[in-house]
Amino acid sequence: MSTRTVLVVDDSRIMRNIVKNTFASMNIPCEFLEAGNGKEALAQLETKKIDLILLDWNMPELSGLDFLKKVRAMDEHKDLPIIMVTSEAARYNVIEALKNGATDYIIKPVNEKTFQEKLSKITI
Amino acid sequence: MEKYIQPFVDVCENVFKEFIGSELVAERPHFADKNDAHDWDVSAIIGLTGEARGAVVISMKQDLAFKLTGILTGNEHKTLDDEVVDAIGEIINIIAGNAKRGLEESFRLVISLPTIVRGKGHSIGWPNEQARIICIPFKIFDTDTFCLSVAIEAASGV
Repeated sequence: MSTRTVLVVDDSRIMRNIVKNTFASMNIPCEFLEAGNGKEALAQLETKKIDLILLDWNMPELSGLDFLKKVRAMDEHKDLPIIMVTSEAARYNVIEALKNGATDYIIKPVNEKTFQEKLSKITI
Repeated sequence: MEKYIQPFVDVCENVFKEFIGSELVAERPHFADKNDAHDWDVSAIIGLTGEARGAVVISMKQDLAFKLTGILTGNEHKTLDDEVVDAIGEIINIIAGNAKRGLEESFRLVISLPTIVRGKGHSIGWPNEQARIICIPFKIFDTDTFCLSVAIEAASGV
């Protein structure tokens, strides 16, 4: 499998590291990019080809949901796999994210088993 | 208001088990007054809005904050630095976000970004004067304790 570029978007540096480490333990060759909020993530998206986004919800500057809406409005990114990785566990939040184009949804705390299950459903 | 507290207790126990890898022992909850003195070193606060108003706060001594951060980062910490702030903020974020699932039959809630307050004996400004504050002490690692405080009431008109 060729190396995939994964953008990890979370305002917590610790969470970004945990997400990256959990993902890396599955031996999928990846290059990780990081963003601390939706605005930084948009900037990354403009300059790099990204294969998967792991996206937090509650962030300063531009939330994950607002980032998701912006990205899905762009023709070139309408099929880009975007998995929410968030503490927002209420069903109405899950529904809202999926309605706005999230490919899937992971509720923190994250674990390898959940990542494997979610990744097995998508092609990156 | 007390019936809204159990989701926070359940979630706190689960989050510490899954995220920190440690069991908690919940101790007897009690009402707290916003002006009560305490000797916690750090608190992380998340505001609650939407169909209810309030806040959820985790408070602890700095040694526990260092231990928890060390578990999450693999590094040793000796001051309440940015990584410790990040770790404690993320813990309360996960607690608050997960608690929304247990409260969704009662309220649609919006949670804020976490705010961290550092300093011995710091005080917290609770957002609503009327809501009673319930403090749930937890024991962790046999000798450490922290407090999860919750105040929540239905927003007027809901």
